[in-house]
Amino acid sequence: MKRYIWIVTSILVSFFSVINCARAQEENRDEIFFNSNNACRDGNYKEAIDGYRRLIISGHENGHVYYNLGNAYFKTGQIGRAVLNYERARMLIPRDADLNFNLRSARYRTQDAIPENRPFINSVFFWIDDFSTGELFWGFAVLNLFFWAVLLIRLFRRSEWSYYILLILLVLWIVAGISFGCRWHQFRNDERAVIVQKEVDVLAGPDINDTALFKLHEGAVVHNERSENGWYLIQISEKQRGWIPAQAAENIGK
Amino acid sequence: MRNIAFLILTVFLFILAPFEAGADISIRLKLDRKEAAIMDSVRVVVSVSGTRKSDSDPVIRGVDDFEITRGGTSSKVEIVNGRVNSGIEYTYYLRAKKEGLFRIGPAELTVDGESFKSNTEDLKIQKPRAGVARGNLFLTATLSSDRAYIYEQLLYILRLHRRVNVSNISLELPESGQFTLKQLEEPEEYQAVINGQTYQVLEIRYSLIPYREGNFDIQPSRMHMTAFEPNRRSNLRSFFDDPFFSAGQAKTVVSEPLGLTVVSLPDSGRPENFTGLVGNFEIESVMEPTSIKAGESATLTVRLSGKGNVNSIPDLKCPELDYARIYADQPVLKVEADAKGLKGSKTMKWAVVGEKEGLYKIPSFSISFFDPKSSKYRIISTSPVSLSILPGQKEQAAASIIEEKNEGAKSRAKEEVKEIGSDILPVHTSMDILKRGDSPQTPGMVSWGAVLLPCFIYLGVFAGLRFQKSNERSLAAVRAKKAAGKFVRQYRKNRTVPGDLSLAVRNYLNERFNLTLGSLTPEEAVRILKSNGVKSDTAQKLYVIIEMLENAIYTGEGNAPCDVGEDVPGLISQIEREIR
Repeated sequence: MKRYIWIVTSILVSFFSVINCARAQEENRDEIFFNSNNACRDGNYKEAIDGYRRLIISGHENGHVYYNLGNAYFKTGQIGRAVLNYERARMLIPRDADLNFNLRSARYRTQDAIPENRPFINSVFFWIDDFSTGELFWGFAVLNLFFWAVLLIRLFRRSEWSYYILLILLVLWIVAGISFGCRWHQFRNDERAVIVQKEVDVLAGPDINDTALFKLHEGAVVHNERSENGWYLIQISEKQRGWIPAQAAENIGK
Repeated sequence: MRNIAFLILTVFLFILAPFEAGADISIRLKLDRKEAAIMDSVRVVVSVSGTRKSDSDPVIRGVDDFEITRGGTSSKVEIVNGRVNSGIEYTYYLRAKKEGLFRIGPAELTVDGESFKSNTEDLKIQKPRAGVARGNLFLTATLSSDRAYIYEQLLYILRLHRRVNVSNISLELPESGQFTLKQLEEPEEYQAVINGQTYQVLEIRYSLIPYREGNFDIQPSRMHMTAFEPNRRSNLRSFFDDPFFSAGQAKTVVSEPLGLTVVSLPDSGRPENFTGLVGNFEIESVMEPTSIKAGESATLTVRLSGKGNVNSIPDLKCPELDYARIYADQPVLKVEADAKGLKGSKTMKWAVVGEKEGLYKIPSFSISFFDPKSSKYRIISTSPVSLSILPGQKEQAAASIIEEKNEGAKSRAKEEVKEIGSDILPVHTSMDILKRGDSPQTPGMVSWGAVLLPCFIYLGVFAGLRFQKSNERSLAAVRAKKAAGKFVRQYRKNRTVPGDLSLAVRNYLNERFNLTLGSLTPEEAVRILKSNGVKSDTAQKLYVIIEMLENAIYTGEGNAPCDVGEDVPGLISQIEREIR
């Protein structure tokens, strides 16, 4: 009997310890966020940057935290990192009006005129850019549930109304599935990178002694084709590609 | 059909007659051009609207020095926006006897004893043209002056002289990077006499504004057309000269090149606020109303009009006032063209909302332009307008502004919002957004499970139903296989009792063919057997047995032993063999 009491007590103690630990972490997260916001308001942008970065590193990835981090970088004049974090935030909260306004402001301050290459599929499924991967996934999941539910009903009762509802759901299910698939593919294969140094020479090869082809400035969004020994092979158009040191740019996707 | 249409039209006009009687009568005189040469034929049209009959023909004043020829009359009825207008047009041709400036008109007409007078028009008659006639078809170009100031408006006039019929006319104007050409009015057509020969003239007028200094040539204009030359075998114009009967020839006529010297505007006397306006302009201002309550608005209108490069009329700015707020309206530029060139006006309006009571003078607006006729710069100003602001309640002021916004300022265009600074929007500070988090970008196992679960549930239910069906079918097959054996066992037990034997046969058929028959007739048994591939002879044997059993049952011998005279188990075995 004593043995059972001891086991139950141990389980309860462990359970409450885990809960307390989680609560402490939550309080710590809130505190960092609160302090970072205050630092931002007081103009201590470096402190704010540290706080927001700690939150992200500790796994509290959130579109609003990226947005705030972008703001802090913007205020310190680091337009490249501001664009980088705004772009990361846009993956999570694409319809946030503040974010889109600030991203436009940051892009306006960049020096290089680089046309944005919008994939053809995004022109056809024009709503893709306005939804995050998660939103598209859950949209698809709900339609999926209805679709199979109607199919299930039709196993027992083949009425006319269920046939038409099934047709509509099938079309929506396919559209939602393709939308989610495209967005997920783009998210997982996001090879965009942002120049974070004030100015960088794009070289003909991955060596400091190679010929400089052209210059890029911070905030320019480039296509990172591959990395090799601390160098990135980047491309901004079919005619303009070359190598830059890896520390000069940071990938938007992780 | 045409008769019916004519009848309807006649009835319609008859119905409209009372409306016509009540219409206002007016009379208008129009010349086909403002300038002509001696011996040229100038067409005069006297248009009378509001009636289609007059007591007499119109009398035209100011034509003593002209030969006048009657050209004919035409009456008209037109319906515009539901209003019926009827009228009559008298056409005359004037031919001047001497040169000079003449005032033609007014035309006087008497209708039902009441006399009406038209407008007058000026006509300048010049010496006969000494131009060289270049055959039956030629093009001339003239410039109102061969020397001009930069931005000064000149007239470039093209005249196609023809004594042949032409069609499909197209025009190629000179191209230059030194001046702009803009067509004035529609082309005019009239008759002119050159070297004693009468030509039909098509005149097209352009406004030419040079915008570069220097000496340059204006390249010839080209006119392409299809010309129908008269029959060369006879000097008389033949009936077959009509374009309907001849194919015509493609012709191109070219005007002569012209020289032009463009000089810059003089530096001396150039006002500071000179904006490049060249021509002759006037300015006027109006304040309406001149007395308002504080909070109410008055409209200040400044209109700048004149002839010249009207497209360059600048937007004037109203100075800030201490005692009133100013809201600018979108300026309205109107450009018109007449035979003498481009003219136009720019109207600028401001809503003046009074704030402090008092009697104020609105500062005058001034603008400078260069007058090429006098070769001098001129500054024109509006006369100052006064505005009296009376005391008004704040509430009334606010209400009046809102009212004005909603109703009064319909014609006032909104001003574009101007950016006066740029910054980003602030950080997001709500703790909720941190707690809420975002949808995960990469769906986890649970999420995929939630997507796949409905599919699995469906597949499970589908498989279950299929299994259930196939199970039922297999049970029936087993029962069918065992049916013959079961029958033989029952037969051996109750072989001689007709009631039991009949029941055993029915059970056999039910189980063998998965039926649910409550009773069995011989015909039915034969049909079932035949439909399952049993031969007719075999089926007939069972028919006989069942009929025998039925007879025994229905004659009250159902429980008494009877002999069916047939090897029943052997018959069933044969049936089993013959079943497909």
